[in-house]
Amino acid sequence: MIEVRLHGRGGQGAVTANEILAEAAYYEGKYAQAIPMYGTERRGAPVTAYLRLDEVRVRERDLVHEPDIVVVLDPAIAQRPAILEGLKEGGLVIANYPHPPELYPLGGNFMVSTVDATAIALETLKRPITNTAILGAFSKVTGLVKVESIEKAILHRFPGPLGEMNVNAVRRAYERTPMPIQARGEVRKDEEGPLSGSGYGLIRSAAGWRTFRPVWDLDKCTGCRICWIFCPDNAIGWAEEKPTVDYRKCKGCGICVNECPTKAIEFKREGI
Amino acid sequence: MSERITIKQVPLEELVITPGSACQGCGAALAARLAFKALGPNTIRHSIPACPDNVTRTPTSGGEFEAGGDHVTGTWRALKALGREDVQVVGFYGDGGVYDIGFQSISGAAIRNENVFIICKNNEAYMNTGGQVSGATPQFAMTTTTPVGPMSRGKPHSRKNTPMIFAMHGVPYVATASVAFPTDLIAKVQYGKGIRGFKFLDILSPCPTGWRFDPSKTIEVARLAVQTGFWPLYEIIDGRKFRLNYKPRELKPVAEYLKLQGRFRHLSEQEIEEIQRSVTEYWERLLKLDEIGEILI
Repeated sequence: MIEVRLHGRGGQGAVTANEILAEAAYYEGKYAQAIPMYGTERRGAPVTAYLRLDEVRVRERDLVHEPDIVVVLDPAIAQRPAILEGLKEGGLVIANYPHPPELYPLGGNFMVSTVDATAIALETLKRPITNTAILGAFSKVTGLVKVESIEKAILHRFPGPLGEMNVNAVRRAYERTPMPIQARGEVRKDEEGPLSGSGYGLIRSAAGWRTFRPVWDLDKCTGCRICWIFCPDNAIGWAEEKPTVDYRKCKGCGICVNECPTKAIEFKREGI
Repeated sequence: MSERITIKQVPLEELVITPGSACQGCGAALAARLAFKALGPNTIRHSIPACPDNVTRTPTSGGEFEAGGDHVTGTWRALKALGREDVQVVGFYGDGGVYDIGFQSISGAAIRNENVFIICKNNEAYMNTGGQVSGATPQFAMTTTTPVGPMSRGKPHSRKNTPMIFAMHGVPYVATASVAFPTDLIAKVQYGKGIRGFKFLDILSPCPTGWRFDPSKTIEVARLAVQTGFWPLYEIIDGRKFRLNYKPRELKPVAEYLKLQGRFRHLSEQEIEEIQRSVTEYWERLLKLDEIGEILI
């Protein structure tokens, strides 16, 4: 039995990716089980999903605690050591990360392969929804599920042009993903604590929620306070008639970018 | 009636502690930030089950879904007994807690004219549990319990006109607001704060997750709701005196508002026309009320 854990952020489709993989495995005559993590999942917040694949019927009904494979849909989360929790010795990490696996920052006794799924999603879907692109990488690296089965499952779930766009994302990721190598990064602990810190109340930092980061051009800023008043998360402060920003609070929703009357705010892809 | 303020008059002091656990681009989180800015720290906040918006630097207590009105009543009576009538008692509830489940208790508090401020962060469905239909959901909107398919075109009924229902209780102050008009919202909260008796403010707070639009468009959607007449901004004093706060020379076509949202993606031209007709008809009635300046019933 192969056990898989998927990490993503709410809105990237980790749960959907999980279900598509299970369906694709089913088309190949395998047994599969897709489990979403139950909690107060939020758009932008880290989410987890679990998958079991087997040739015989899957009897287990609990969450996956010691995965063989970890799939990460988000480049910011891909750098968090918390994703390695419980990963079997010699296990495999497939990460959405914009650099080749040689530069992957985490280390330990596991194999790693990377693909810039965000770039592929922006090319094909025009939106940073990385779930289908990462499935192409999964098929290429693990060989557990054929890419044709994944495409069939996607077209079953999203008929029409949307399905075609997603199939395109799968194919591009399949072509671009390199075979895994031994992880060379640094072995370290996660200072930010466990990933699933969502729920009610305060969170430590929303920095990992962003795909894009708002950047101000203060020369163009007229000091109208519009970005400040419309920020739901109070990330934008106001001092000496100019905006200040606290990126720990910014969830990257883009309201400020959309509302700025002088277009003084640029939405830049989060640097990795 | 509330007095117009400018953006420079909005208090700089923040009452919210962030980052909270609301979604990216959450309208309700912004509603909380703006409303509590105006309420100030001398406030006791009450919550009932709803989406997490923003944590506020106020004493906060949580109660049962159906007991929102009783909850604030108890606090207000206790404060009165203690001689602390300067403290503002606020119920910051979602539309499920005000329009449906909590309606009877809030209606009771309204008819007793308790000195409380009920603020509804209205995202037009039970969004915390994944977007089930509520009394605030507009007609034809797709929710998880009114899906679109061969047998269903989204919600079959129109939404409940709750602000008017509270106005008919004859309470001192009822108003609607939108997160896209923050100065209007803050002016209304500041005005309501100064009134003794039952106050109700209904804030339209778009939900990117449930309404299916990009989080960056929250304000755009909220603004179009007002500009198309889908969510008119008005205030009513003592259930009689009426004023529209936003009166454009001409309303934008409601299709502009509907087309931004995935929950209305399935609408046919005919259904859009039907919505347009009901919006225009209601808007004309409100214009008449505004002209007379009074609700004549």
